[in-house]
Amino acid sequence: MKKKIPYSTPDGYFEALKRRLSDIPAEHRTQARPLGAKWVPYLALASFFAAAVVLGNLFLSGTTGRGGATEDEIVEYLIDSGTTLAQLYEYNF
Amino acid sequence: MRLYSDMDSAERQFQDLVNRYSERLYWHLRTMVGSHDDADDLLQDVFIKAWKALPGFRGDADIFTWLWRIATNEALGFLRRAKVRSILTFRSLDGEALSVPDTDAPLDAEQAAARLQKAIASLPPKQRAVFHMRYYEEMAYEQISRITGTSVGALKASYHFAYEKIKQYVLEEN
Repeated sequence: MKKKIPYSTPDGYFEALKRRLSDIPAEHRTQARPLGAKWVPYLALASFFAAAVVLGNLFLSGTTGRGGATEDEIVEYLIDSGTTLAQLYEYNF
Repeated sequence: MRLYSDMDSAERQFQDLVNRYSERLYWHLRTMVGSHDDADDLLQDVFIKAWKALPGFRGDADIFTWLWRIATNEALGFLRRAKVRSILTFRSLDGEALSVPDTDAPLDAEQAAARLQKAIASLPPKQRAVFHMRYYEEMAYEQISRITGTSVGALKASYHFAYEKIKQYVLEEN
């Protein structure tokens, strides 16, 4: 990396990190499935849908309460949907 | 990079990925999420996913692009979840996003760099990712496009907006 990022890490962090990451294959090679584990995906799916309904309602009410999308969100949407810079400037963004 | 068929060889390949890319991926994640602990957790998740997906990895794809795509998606997902949590707890994310240390920067150049980092932290997540890859990693737009799945034109617009916002932020700070 050519330019310096002004964040710091604990001493010896990257050496310890590499050792820890290198243990991943051993940790994920043979993991016995606990009793009832086969139901976990179904329970997770059911919980996900329940949470999605609750969070969706809360999120939408939160968004509405804050007065809709921010300018950043609008610009991101326009950029992602292929709007050119000239058009964005025309819209005064 | 050559692909290996047996488990020992897969572990060697994984070790090679860790040695070559873990530090750069850490800085990418750190720039995006700000906190060391969060970047550390996300990096662990990225490499667990990489290990699990390694057997299905297509040899003709660029493994660097593949890893960066996993990391970028993990960080964007993390920031989306954090935003939902902040709405649920009626808490602003701005304070966390801008929690860049600047008191331990003894030199003007480092202070300027810290100010730049604060400005980057104020960008929306996608612009932050694009800016980091373009500015710090000096990646070509075509490579960023392969990582993010966004067109080169949209990336240029995104980088331009990020650049303008950072410039404005730094000018206001001064």
